[in-house]
Amino acid sequence: MTIQTFIRLAAICGAVLMSSAPAGAHPHVWVTMHSELIYAPDGSITGVRHAWAFDDMFSAFATQGYESKVKGQFTREELAPLAKVNVESLKEYDYFTYAMADGKKAKMIDPLPDYYLDFNDQVLTLHFTVPFEKPVSAKELKIDIYDPTIFVDFSYDKKDPVKLVGAPANCKAEVKPPREMTFAEGKALSQIPPDEKNTTMAWGANFANKILVHCP
Amino acid sequence: MTWLARRSALAQCVLFILFVLLVAGAIDAVSAAPFGVGSAPAVDGVTGWVLAKQAEFYRMLSGAIRAAKADGSAAWALLGISFAYGVFHAAGPGHGKAVISSYLVANDETWKRGIALSFASAILQAMTAIIIVAIAAVVLNATSKAMGDTVRVVEMVGYGLIILIGLRLLWVKGRAFWHLLRPPAHAHAHDHKHDHGHNHGHAHNHNPGHDHDHADEAHAWGHAHAPEPSELTGQHWLKRGLAAIVAVGLRPCSGAIIVLVFALAQGIFWIGVASTFVMGLGTAITVSVIATLAVGARGLAGRWAKAKPGGGMLMLRGLETAAALVIVVFGVLLLTGYMVSERMFGV
Repeated sequence: MTIQTFIRLAAICGAVLMSSAPAGAHPHVWVTMHSELIYAPDGSITGVRHAWAFDDMFSAFATQGYESKVKGQFTREELAPLAKVNVESLKEYDYFTYAMADGKKAKMIDPLPDYYLDFNDQVLTLHFTVPFEKPVSAKELKIDIYDPTIFVDFSYDKKDPVKLVGAPANCKAEVKPPREMTFAEGKALSQIPPDEKNTTMAWGANFANKILVHCP
Repeated sequence: MTWLARRSALAQCVLFILFVLLVAGAIDAVSAAPFGVGSAPAVDGVTGWVLAKQAEFYRMLSGAIRAAKADGSAAWALLGISFAYGVFHAAGPGHGKAVISSYLVANDETWKRGIALSFASAILQAMTAIIIVAIAAVVLNATSKAMGDTVRVVEMVGYGLIILIGLRLLWVKGRAFWHLLRPPAHAHAHDHKHDHGHNHGHAHNHNPGHDHDHADEAHAWGHAHAPEPSELTGQHWLKRGLAAIVAVGLRPCSGAIIVLVFALAQGIFWIGVASTFVMGLGTAITVSVIATLAVGARGLAGRWAKAKPGGGMLMLRGLETAAALVIVVFGVLLLTGYMVSERMFGV
């Protein structure tokens, strides 16, 4: 066969295969967040308390099948089993919370047992605290919150997204929303070689919701 | 450039199959990630645009459902958004594009049948979602976790079916390919008369529009008796295709399930059902387009094969065998969870 035919044939097959390839999932869950950073008396940070409000569609989906005394309203006790399921499912994804203290990864462990779910105005909110393995004292603390698989879309609430609880007076927290990707970055990203380890994590971190805490 | 043309038919064939497998493998490697759910989505160009559109329309669905609850005529807007979502969403992982396309190439189906198969499987996917929610949520008042578990079981069955279909195709097409590669020992001059009679008989069985390479096979391989794969006639395409339709259709769209449960919670389940079917229509169109492309490629290959005596038929059977292999590989990757078609949030 001629080389042109070979190329044409191969190109068509390639095109069909490419178009069948996973083009990337899209978010199915939207979460609006509030976070509190909890400090110990000695000025080290012990953990992050999250309040994650789910979108109305997912709120309805998640509460499907749970009994409630008043239809359309759920108490914390009624939602306790669901909260357990949620927190246990999140373990697999590291609770979507990643922390770096002075440039080094800070390990986080399973949430404290006082987690619970709220259901108000058809919105389901998960409250839970993710502690650090060891309280962290750092000049620069960076916390990223994101889902590398973009099944969940996280964003900070416009109002009071982050609070420092019990922090030393000179600590300052800054919230950085995900920034828009420039065309050039998008192009560069799509050209990252497939064998680059943790490419997904590295990518996601760039466009995660970031909390930056600066304690001089 | 003539290096390739000068290679033997076998070498060209092997090279081509290797290339196809390489592309498939590369795509999988690029898209594989922990849990196998798509890697960093390429936000550049068309893919990024499709992704953005998917999310956009999906996000509009909840608002549209609430609007439809308040005002019945808003249901039309909901249907429009559902359709758009279906069209863009099918460009993402799942909805059987790769399996259906490979199936069409391996079986040498016409584009009309390709469209029929695409539509049938898309409608079945819509029905699976509706049935699961209807039974689980409406009748049993089960939790979404229970629904997620049900989906997982159902999709495993679907993936198993895909593997079975692929294996059977691999056996049939692979055997045909192998026999062309190394004709059985009894092939010699005496087979000439034997061949022509044999193949003329087959020619009369062909449906119009079906590839006529069997008659050509005799001319191209006058001295060899190539056994005909038994499924090459087009008469039982629907029966054959049924397995493929069911295999692909068993996996419902997670988005459709969430939408149905939300519509149920809002008290407008039937509007949710209509929305799901319209979503299915959208995905059917997208999958049909891909399927038609695949059939077109196969047609090109067939026409080229006819023009080239000797290596052409070998090449063609090789292509079909590669397509069957792709089906098996996809089924295995899906079944083992290495590749995830669509995530069902395990709430």
